[in-house]
Amino acid sequence: MARPDLKFGKKLKKYGAVDFNACYNCGTCTAVCALASETDSFPREMVRYSVLGLDEEIKGSLKPWLCYYCGECSTYCPQEAQPGELMMSLRRYLISRYDWTGLSGLLCRSLAAYAAAFLAVVAGLMGLFFFSGWGQKEWMHYGHLFEMAAIGGVFAFILLPNIVRMWYFTVWKRKKTLRMKTYLLALPELLLHMFTQKRTLSCNDERDNTLWWFEHLVLVLGYLGLLFATVFLDWFASTHPVVVAAGYVLSAVVFVVTFDFVIRRIRKRSEKSVFSHPSDWFFVIWLFLMGISAFGVRLLVDLGALAGHFWLYLLHLTVLVQWALIIVPFGKWTHFLYRSFAMYFDRIVKMESPAA
Amino acid sequence: MKRKIGVYICHCGGNISDYVDVEKVRQAAAKEAGVALARTMEFACADSSQKEIAQDIQEGAVDSFVVASCSPKLHLPTFQSVAERAGLNKYQYVHANIREQVSWAHSDDKEGATAKAVQFVRAAIAKVRLAKAIEPIEIQTQRAVLVVGAGVAGMKAATSLAKMGVNVYLIEKEHFVGGRVSQWDVLCITEETGKDLVTRFYIDVVANQNITLFTGAELVECSGSMGNFTVKVRITPRYVKDICEKDRMRRAIEVCPVEVVDEFNFSITKRKAIYHNFPSQYPLVAVVDMKHCTRCGKCEKECEKIDFSQEEKVVELKVGSILVAAGFDPYTPKNGEFGYQVYDNVITLPQFKRLVAISDTELKWKGRPVQTIAYIYCVGSRQLEGENKYCSRYCCLTTICAAIKAGEKFSGLSHFHFTRGIRTYGKYETFFYEASKRGQVFLQSFEDDPPQVTQKDGRTLVRIHDILTSRREVEVDADLVVLVTGMVPRTDGRIGEILKLPRGRDRFYNEIHMKLRPVETVIDGVTIAGACRGPQNVVEAINSSLSAAIKSYSFVRRDTLAIEPIVAEIDPDACTWCEACAKACPFDAIARDASTGKEIARVNTPVCKGCGMCLPVCPANAIQLRTFSDEEVQQMIGVLAHEL
Repeated sequence: MARPDLKFGKKLKKYGAVDFNACYNCGTCTAVCALASETDSFPREMVRYSVLGLDEEIKGSLKPWLCYYCGECSTYCPQEAQPGELMMSLRRYLISRYDWTGLSGLLCRSLAAYAAAFLAVVAGLMGLFFFSGWGQKEWMHYGHLFEMAAIGGVFAFILLPNIVRMWYFTVWKRKKTLRMKTYLLALPELLLHMFTQKRTLSCNDERDNTLWWFEHLVLVLGYLGLLFATVFLDWFASTHPVVVAAGYVLSAVVFVVTFDFVIRRIRKRSEKSVFSHPSDWFFVIWLFLMGISAFGVRLLVDLGALAGHFWLYLLHLTVLVQWALIIVPFGKWTHFLYRSFAMYFDRIVKMESPAA
Repeated sequence: MKRKIGVYICHCGGNISDYVDVEKVRQAAAKEAGVALARTMEFACADSSQKEIAQDIQEGAVDSFVVASCSPKLHLPTFQSVAERAGLNKYQYVHANIREQVSWAHSDDKEGATAKAVQFVRAAIAKVRLAKAIEPIEIQTQRAVLVVGAGVAGMKAATSLAKMGVNVYLIEKEHFVGGRVSQWDVLCITEETGKDLVTRFYIDVVANQNITLFTGAELVECSGSMGNFTVKVRITPRYVKDICEKDRMRRAIEVCPVEVVDEFNFSITKRKAIYHNFPSQYPLVAVVDMKHCTRCGKCEKECEKIDFSQEEKVVELKVGSILVAAGFDPYTPKNGEFGYQVYDNVITLPQFKRLVAISDTELKWKGRPVQTIAYIYCVGSRQLEGENKYCSRYCCLTTICAAIKAGEKFSGLSHFHFTRGIRTYGKYETFFYEASKRGQVFLQSFEDDPPQVTQKDGRTLVRIHDILTSRREVEVDADLVVLVTGMVPRTDGRIGEILKLPRGRDRFYNEIHMKLRPVETVIDGVTIAGACRGPQNVVEAINSSLSAAIKSYSFVRRDTLAIEPIVAEIDPDACTWCEACAKACPFDAIARDASTGKEIARVNTPVCKGCGMCLPVCPANAIQLRTFSDEEVQQMIGVLAHEL
């Protein structure tokens, strides 16, 4: 027995959903979707659940993660109900449902909360700047330590519990399985999708989808590389020429690709860039700022001019802290994990289903 | 005088000649007594062929003729017109159908088909030998039309006829005009209220000198026929002479101690025994409902215009045509149908619309605030079992519009539509879109699995296996359940009985042909308009009323009307007035006549359809049907039987 909840739809609009209520259930979206199959029928089903506000069904579903937003459904929707953007909004919503702190949801629903969080970081760093009495060396030392602590802390206290919650909602509640064999056999799925996003390639390629996939792949690898170079190889302090050169290349990759992504969102040429939620903007812009400021800081180091332009490092640090404490744990960054875990969990569920 | 019969046999471009040896038929026909010439033609209906026949007649070669071709349904009027153009009486032409009944039916047997065609043609020749010239019957027409029902359809038709210079008697059973539309609040698409629309029509009606409006008026008797009907109309008085000064009428209504169920609001409120349905309702004079009035006299003290001395009267009117726009009734659900009359928060769509119209700041039902509304569609329409198989057409749109309007008027409403598939056809689709976009939820089930309404712990639950959600059971806790009831014919069907209007399988008044003659009935001179023809919305009702007005006009536009003279004739010497023929006549065209001193049957020729039902029941064989006399038919049978 399902009880409709119309408040759900209103709430979902804050996550970016538009006009999905206009759906008259023709199913064109599902018919044109290159990723939907007989076993994974979407987006119409998710649109219907959203209209009725069936929260439990949505919370337990992995289907929003199976969509890679080529936008064909929105193009062909006769009611202009924007099913593609609905799937996107459901992903934002699911991120907030998985998050045990509830902060993801708060930030997603409220631009003011986002701004307040960013300003709090700025205020904190300014306080530190005025009262710590740290010099350049201390700043860079503690900055580096922060990076390590943030990665460990965010992962241990936020992301890991959230992935366990995701598993609980989507696997345990449906299959109640703990068979090790299944979990191990399905594991390649996780790594494959995490590092290739290859499902994107199955999308209909009418709007330079392959190019987009390539840029995105390069960005993911560039970002991970930059993370590794700055945190574990201490790029800013390194003297190893290979590390230094790699850092330049990786940070350049990050800001060049994100610049292109910002342009795409401004131009709105493809369905997936027509609608941009604040969380989308923050994600690409902060990534861009991180890349370009990191590039700039290292350049100043190499030119021996960092002391005279230390503000740039402070700017970089501010962006970094905002990124690590807000966007990574509670913002769009998490899609990196959830998308690949969704493929993993989906495989587990299918392997445990008798029909499979 | 010896007949000079012409026989024209058509090839129909092979349709006939491929299977029937037309030359053989021609030869057989040529041998028949009285046949002056027999020809075959590639296409008898072609201009050149028509001219050829006309020429034969004009040259005196032919004084009567047979055409053997397709069904007379198709080309009888064509060759009748050939006869008339050539100066020959059109009843001196007889048609033989050798296509539908011969060549097409026997394409496997060429010889048999040819033999049958020969028989048909010979039978037609036998008939045409006896054919007499007969003239159409002419009737003097009354240049007036009776319009029954002053709803939007009736008022529009009346105005349209009046503008063409016809006298119109517009009769309305109720004491106020407007019919059902006056009961609706905001109407869809035009954003006008029913009240406003009715006011506009009413202004047109009263402004036209040619229209006489009778309210409280009912048709009680009708005699005569097309072009010349005599009708009797019973008029119930209002018992109020005129508009009372200032707000004396309001006070007169206030002091009335009698309260009765208000049918204008579909029984959701009460009214007084002296009333109008709303203050600006037309005509502006209030009415005393004498069925419930106790004659306490309180209202008389408030307003001197109240007059209990008024009496019921019957007026006799002469009209050339009757236009029926009697409207519809909303379907009343059966007790227990979706909880109707069992749960007190289950109401019908008309009740809901009135509730929304009369509620001001808050939507309340029986004192309880309403937030969640469940609409159950197709109640009393599209029935799997039950007599209403039809779709009522207007309800999907009107429900969606009512829900949108209710949502605009009252905040915080949730709407759940339990449908069997939405049919907001044509331009109205945008309203479905609008309602969906505003977050109204549409659920759907098939006819064999309707929604269930139950009550538990004081809550009303509506459940459905929603086919749009993989037949999952969805439950809505509703404050108000609105049964979307369709249209049914008026319970009071006396007008149809008086005029002998046939009804269709849906029990609405039937037109002759849905496409070809959509507003005419088999009763000549009587047209139908609006929702008495079948479910339709205001737009469609107005369309049909304009059509019906034109059709009614065609019966009265000239001083005389020519009608088909194929009617029954009584032999006064043989007739003994046994009444058998009058009883057999489906059109009431036969009556007793003693004017000559002898009691005999008399045929009211304008009413007679020439159906022939009276012929076989006459024990004295005193009735003949023109152009189908015993002799003519016997001759034809003789030919056909002889050949067998």
